[in-house]
Amino acid sequence: MTVEVQKYTMEQVEALEVAPGADHENLEGWVPTLASEEGLRDALEKAFDYRGDVTLTLKSGERIEAYIFNRHAAATLAESWVQYFVSGDAIKHRLSYALIARIEFTGKDRAAGKHWEDWVKHYNERKAAGETNIALAPEALE
Amino acid sequence: MAIPISQMWTVSTYVLKNKLAGRKRFSLTLMLEPLFRCSLACAGCGKVQYPPHILKRELTPAECFAAVEECGAPMVAIPGGEPLLHPQMVEIVNGLIARRKYVYLCTNALELKHRLPEFKPSKYLTFSVHLDGQREHHDFGVCREGAYDIAIEGIKEAVRRGFRVTTNATFFDGVDPNSVRAFFDEVMAMGVEGIILSPGYSYDKAPDQHHFMGRARVRRLFRAILSNRKPTWKFNMSPLFLEFLMGFRNYECVPWGMPTYNIFGWQKPCYLLQDGFVGSYKELLETTEWEKYGVPSGNPKCANCMVSCGYETPAVIDGFTTWKGFLAMARGNFNKYPDPEALKQLSEAAAPAEQAEDCCCCHEETRA
Repeated sequence: MTVEVQKYTMEQVEALEVAPGADHENLEGWVPTLASEEGLRDALEKAFDYRGDVTLTLKSGERIEAYIFNRHAAATLAESWVQYFVSGDAIKHRLSYALIARIEFTGKDRAAGKHWEDWVKHYNERKAAGETNIALAPEALE
Repeated sequence: MAIPISQMWTVSTYVLKNKLAGRKRFSLTLMLEPLFRCSLACAGCGKVQYPPHILKRELTPAECFAAVEECGAPMVAIPGGEPLLHPQMVEIVNGLIARRKYVYLCTNALELKHRLPEFKPSKYLTFSVHLDGQREHHDFGVCREGAYDIAIEGIKEAVRRGFRVTTNATFFDGVDPNSVRAFFDEVMAMGVEGIILSPGYSYDKAPDQHHFMGRARVRRLFRAILSNRKPTWKFNMSPLFLEFLMGFRNYECVPWGMPTYNIFGWQKPCYLLQDGFVGSYKELLETTEWEKYGVPSGNPKCANCMVSCGYETPAVIDGFTTWKGFLAMARGNFNKYPDPEALKQLSEAAAPAEQAEDCCCCHEETRA
C-alpha cells in the first residue's frame, strides 16, 4: 500500500457524506510477469499489501513460501528489500529485490470473499430455519 | 470526564514535560497489539485478516515491555486480536502495571468473566469492553448472536470485583442515534467508569466496504448523539475530542500520538494504516514521512478519518498546554451541550422506516 496521489481537497474532505470503500483486487493465483524492474517493484508492492502467502522463487532456484509484511523500496533493486515470515519460524527474514526471479500469489487471500451481504444472507437463512445463536466464526487456524 | 485524577495528573505532567523539553513528537498511548488472533469475525474489522501462521504468532512479554519502555507513553492500550487469547496476558498486564503504565485492555469480553480471577484490580488497569451498541445492534455488528449478553456478564462481574471498566464503541453509517443514547443509559447503569467511542475507519481489508461515514456525516451523527447529554453519562475521553467529533472544533491528525507496535514491528504511520514497519520507535518518529498523511496531505486513505488514534492526542495536548484549551476542557466536563437542532435530528431519526433501507446494523428484514 503506497501513499496515493492527492485526490481530495480540504473542502471536499470536510463535505464527504459517505467515504468510498476499497475495491479488492483479485490477486489469488496471480503470477505476475517480471519482465522489467518496474514490473518487479509493482508486484512486490502488491505482495506487501496482500493478506495471504506468496511463493518467491529466487535466482538461485530456491523457493520460499512467505507472508510479506514489509518492504523498503530504494533507488536500486539491490538496496530494496522485503521482510517476511515463513510458517513455523519466528525469524523476520529480509530479502533483496535483486535476488527474486518469480512471485506467485499462492496463498488464500484472507481479506477477500467475505462481505457484509454474505453475513446478512447467512443470518436470514439460519433465522428462517429457526436457528438461534447465529454467528460467523473466525477461520480455523488449521 | 470519568478519568481518575491520578491518571489525568500523570498525563498532564507528561505532556508538559515533553512540551517544555521542546519535543515536537511524543506519544501519549502505545497501541500494543500482542496478537491478531480473535474470537469474533466482525464485518467492520480490518485487523485480523491474516494467514493462520501469522494469527498464531504472539509478542512475548519481554517484547511488550521493551516496546513500552522504548516508547515511554504513560498509557498502553492492548487491542488486537483478542488480548485474552494470549496465554501470557496476565504476565504482560502485571508487568505494565509494575511499570506504572495505565493499561486499557481492549476485549470483546467473551472470556472476561472467567478470566477475571487471574487479574487484580488496580488504578492502572482498565478493561475496555468492545460494545458497539444495544444488544441487537452489537450482535449484528460483530456477527454473533449472544455476544452482547456474554459481554454484559463480564462487565458486571468486573465492576463487582472492583475493576475499572469502560465500554468501547465504534459507530458505522446507519447507526440510530437514539439507540446509541439508550445504549449509553444501559452501560452507565451497569456501573462502568465511562464510555469510549469512535467513528469507524474505512479499513481497506474490512469485509464491509459500504458503510463508512464521511466527515460531514460523522459530525452530524455525533452532534445528535452527544448533544443534550444526560447527567449520568461519563466519557473516558477528552471532552475536546468529543467536541471535535461534534464539529465544534478542528484538529489535525497526530499519528505519532498513539503509535502501534505488533508482531511485525513499529507500524508506519499509525494504528489504522499499514504502510510499512520499522525496528524501533526512534526510527518510526524519524523516518516516517508524516507529511504524506492526514487530511491536509490529500491522502485519500486519511480523508474520512476522525478516529481517536489520530485526533485525541491533539485534543489532550490542547487541553493541557493552553489556557484556552484547559478552560474549554473544564467546561466540557460539565456542559450538557443543549442543542434544539440535535433534538430535532433525534426525532427525525426516530421516525419509522425511513432509514432502515441502507442501515448496516439494523437490517429489519433479518430480525423477524
